[in-house]
Amino acid sequence: MSNLTIPGSQSTPAINGDWETGVLTMSGDSYPENSFDLFNQVIDWVERFLAQTQKPLTLELHLLYLNTSSVRAVMDVFDLLEEAHQAGHEVAVNWHYDRRNERVAELAEEFLEDCSFPFSIIPHD
Amino acid sequence: MDSTDLFAMREAFNRDRIMLCFNGPISRSLIEEIGNALRNYLEAEHVQPSAAMDVFGAYIEMTQNIRHYALSHGYAEHEATATVVVAHKEDGRHVVSAGNVVELADGRALVERINALAKLDKAQLKATYKEQLRKPRDANASTGAGLGLIDIARKASEPLVASLRETSSGRGFFSLRAVI
Repeated sequence: MSNLTIPGSQSTPAINGDWETGVLTMSGDSYPENSFDLFNQVIDWVERFLAQTQKPLTLELHLLYLNTSSVRAVMDVFDLLEEAHQAGHEVAVNWHYDRRNERVAELAEEFLEDCSFPFSIIPHD
Repeated sequence: MDSTDLFAMREAFNRDRIMLCFNGPISRSLIEEIGNALRNYLEAEHVQPSAAMDVFGAYIEMTQNIRHYALSHGYAEHEATATVVVAHKEDGRHVVSAGNVVELADGRALVERINALAKLDKAQLKATYKEQLRKPRDANASTGAGLGLIDIARKASEPLVASLRETSSGRGFFSLRAVI
């Protein structure tokens, strides 16, 4: 068991995976030139968590702008969650967004279309 | 030109309502810095957050495509150049344009691809986007290449316009224009 901590930058989100509570948080913009260098660490952590524990996993997302290579990487993470969900592992995504920027909700909405696990899109002021 | 006529350049920029332009070698950090400036300008113009995100997104996808192209073709740093222009229209929309030097055959394929995208409506673009998203990635291509153009087309409020001009070096100058 180990936590995942990646500090954010202008073009990359702050990422925090808490093994104990089973909460993975990602906040900020994501438009690095190569998203896979960054998201491979997330994918590895999620894979290990799902393989080594029976605990529920919840993603708390405060993501804003994603470039297309980040969209692909996030889709890979959601694919892992979908697979785990099909196998009976409890997983959930809560995507929080500022109600003034509906584009973020639309982005989350498109991901939701391909997921059958609990996926909430939550506006805040 | 013996001396650069800054006054004439300024007149031209103002006439075309250009808020930001760049021409030269483009690095990863430069993309971020110019992107920052663009975001600040859009905020100062009180552009809606979602519209500002679309303009910024089109700029990012275009410039990162240019970087990926130059890197994948082993172009030297000084050859990895981009020409980027962002202008605001009187109706409140923005025009994001970017161009770069490409191999002629690649340029022709790109123009064809964009012309094909320009014929699609929003629903068709969404379907194409989702299809591309689900395509297996080339092990060597660690980027979202291919998806970027569709993404720009989806953000645009008019069909994309692409052009290719042959350069003296036997390559081509490819340019893409999106009205957001």
